[in-house]
Amino acid sequence: MSSIWKWITSSRLWKSIYRNPYPRDKRTRAMVILNSLALHLHPVRVPKRATRLTYTWGLGGLATWTFVLLTLTGVFLMWYYIPTTQDAYWTIVQLETGVTFGAFLRNMHRWAAHAMVLAVLAHMTRVFYTGAYKPPRDFNWVIGVALLLVTCLLSFSGYLLPWDQLAYWAIAVGMEMGGATPFIGKQVRMALLGGFEIGQQTLIRWYTLHVIFLPLAAILLMATHFWRVRKDGNISTPVYEDDDEETLRAVETRRRQQLAE
Amino acid sequence: MATEVQQPTAGEGKDDLLRKVDEKELKPVHVWPNLVSIELIGALTITLFLSIMAIFVRAPFYRMADPELTPNPSKAPWYFLGLQELLLHMHPALAGVVVPTAVLVLLGAIPYIDRSKKGTGIWFYSKKGVPIAIFSAIYTTIWNLGLILVDEYLPAGGANGIAPWLKMHGFSDVFAEIFVPIFFMTLIPFSLWVIVKRRWQADMRECMIAMYSFFLASFIVLTIIGTAFRGEGMALSWPWDIPYPPHGKE
Ligand code: HEM
Repeated sequence: MSSIWKWITSSRLWKSIYRNPYPRDKRTRAMVILNSLALHLHPVRVPKRATRLTYTWGLGGLATWTFVLLTLTGVFLMWYYIPTTQDAYWTIVQLETGVTFGAFLRNMHRWAAHAMVLAVLAHMTRVFYTGAYKPPRDFNWVIGVALLLVTCLLSFSGYLLPWDQLAYWAIAVGMEMGGATPFIGKQVRMALLGGFEIGQQTLIRWYTLHVIFLPLAAILLMATHFWRVRKDGNISTPVYEDDDEETLRAVETRRRQQLAE
Repeated sequence: MATEVQQPTAGEGKDDLLRKVDEKELKPVHVWPNLVSIELIGALTITLFLSIMAIFVRAPFYRMADPELTPNPSKAPWYFLGLQELLLHMHPALAGVVVPTAVLVLLGAIPYIDRSKKGTGIWFYSKKGVPIAIFSAIYTTIWNLGLILVDEYLPAGGANGIAPWLKMHGFSDVFAEIFVPIFFMTLIPFSLWVIVKRRWQADMRECMIAMYSFFLASFIVLTIIGTAFRGEGMALSWPWDIPYPPHGKE
């Protein structure tokens, strides 16, 4: 067994994929983070506390992962779904009854969407009550608020697509609200509906937003969000004193010392 | 566990911030395997959970869209039901556009109002944090429920509610549907701020905790009412009296 493993891991192919050996010591544990696209979003080392479940509850990560699941199941749904008012409903019926794993993946997409909204709300609440929005993370909080909005819009725009009674009337309620915008209500309604009533134009608009524009916006915002987490000094650590210059300098010096240890 | 940590220039006993973090807790550890393993377990757990849910719980799917057949009640998805609940109590422009916009702007403004770095990374900040959060949530909930009940049952000629009652007594539509709701939506957080400041000598962060708790409690209360306690004609009803699926959807 171990000799087969050894043969695999010492093969040229394996080594071309994984640029360093399995992480076992200080050096390789650093290398694995630096040399992997997904893992390099992390720092090599973090304060022990940042890995505690009771600090972040892993909620930002959960939101990220539900987004990945939604993308995967969403692509599958797109293979069958036709965004026309005549076909949309029947393609879902067909998907649920005639496609292997069709119902399963549609259910998964739906429940993951709810889970993502919940995870994002919970994440924001975690960040708030731990005071992690304070400078220098102030702007990342603002990016977070934009992500909250995009998450809700993603979920809501998907709601219309099955073209059943639930979808149609939920959007009708939404349009009623949007149409009440002071001064430009008519224009907002027109833009969202693509016409005077919910119809083919509306469906194609929301479909486009749901499968292209909003996911791209979310990905862009998430990339910025993660990048800022790193740039703002990684996950927040306790600050006990007011931010006079001297304290800040001392804390920063100590953080560097610790990381250099 | 609760050894006091001394940051380099920390004065002793200067404040009552919760200093629960052990010196050891701040020591750097390698992300591989300490964090990566937790992330993997988290991702697997949620995937498993969603898979089981997808096997056993069917996503809703009703009859084909029919513009002629309005379901009763007719509702948005749950995360907008708080707003839909507001829609019952005020002018639609206020509930549907102004309030959500204001909420997003104010949420975004939090770090620019509460700028001090003190308390970063500490759950509930100080010994006062949890009591203030709990008090704020209860205070908000009582206000919300009170206003919802009054707006539902206050007799006003043929109708019920605060706005019809005001209009019956000669006030204008604008006053009843815009001014009065804005008054209450400002009064609750403002009075909360004053109470928390007096009762706990709250500093800025503690006042912010009160404000966020007001937002969170309002969101939860309105969402629950909108989801589980609004039946036919959006009248207040018990959850078991709400037709499910709603008439016109099945
Ligand atoms: C799609 C939505 C979002 C995703 C995928 C996401 C993802 C993440 C991740 C992975 C982290 C690392 C730490 C953690 O998991 O807690 C993080 C941190 C952070 N997030 Fe988000 N987030 C989202 C929305 C938000 C929202 C709505 C807010 C606030 C309004 C926010 C504010 C922050 C802040 C301030 C940090 C730094 C926290 C710290 O240093 O302790 N994020 N986010």
